[in-house]
Amino acid sequence: MVPPAIQDQPETEDQRLIAAIQCKDRKATAEFVSRHADAIYRYVYARLVPRTDRVDDLVQEVFLAAWENLSEYRGTSSLQSWLMGIARHKVEDYYRAHLREPEPLEATEQGPNFATISPDLDAFLDSERLQKKTWQVLVNLPEKYRLALLWRYWDKCSAKEMAARTGKTEKAIERLLARARDQFRWIWDHE
Amino acid sequence: MNNEAPETELFERLAESTDRWEINPAVAPARLKARIYSTLVRRQQESGPLSSLTETKAEGRNLCVFEQVWTLAPVGETMKRLNLCRVCHARLLAEKMEKAPIYWSGCPYADFHRA
Repeated sequence: MVPPAIQDQPETEDQRLIAAIQCKDRKATAEFVSRHADAIYRYVYARLVPRTDRVDDLVQEVFLAAWENLSEYRGTSSLQSWLMGIARHKVEDYYRAHLREPEPLEATEQGPNFATISPDLDAFLDSERLQKKTWQVLVNLPEKYRLALLWRYWDKCSAKEMAARTGKTEKAIERLLARARDQFRWIWDHE
Repeated sequence: MNNEAPETELFERLAESTDRWEINPAVAPARLKARIYSTLVRRQQESGPLSSLTETKAEGRNLCVFEQVWTLAPVGETMKRLNLCRVCHARLLAEKMEKAPIYWSGCPYADFHRA
């Protein structure tokens, strides 16, 4: 049986594996999962931490999308890089979907106005404690705010880029980030 | 919003001090691998029969003990395209437990849990 995508003789190990999966060889499919699941899982986990309850679903979606689009794999990069590209898209789709959601009601009402800048990072000599506190605060933020902060500061995506990717205006993203930061500091100070 | 620049700096510092990549798990849960594998094979079946076990064996891939027996059985190739894992208890255990007690050679579910 000739797989539809790779008409010529597969040249690399990755291409041979893809060809076998396209022939519906179940053991090749198992090898595909076995070889790549750890790397994809680590990537998705790192992008979603500290809330990791959606990691499994997203990783599964990456593999399903990969399987549905195997014919698009040209072998110009490694299979792992190709899968990482799909994972990156899946995570960003997830971010985008949440950033497009309406604002949490309590946040628009609360709007605390801080005169001082907190948190005081210098008070944390122990980076482990700082990390723990930061994750704890992030976990307790509404999902939209958490993802906005992670995307902007941890993933270093500019407000302009976030606006372009979510279809919002840059001003709207800046307002969202300002509310997210306010909420973050409020939780930081009151936990 | 009047403190935006120092605020941005503060959050940038916070992000630098709390690296998300450091707390990464080394491996994906075996249960997840088992579920992904089962889902992929199910999807493959939905679009037509799987490659037969005889072909898989000819490609040099390992079969589990049940699949080996099935390849020797006096049944046609169509029957050898069935997904035997669907009715195997190894799949059920592997999808539900993190350290499933399955040890057969050639069983993908056992391999996920051994890794």
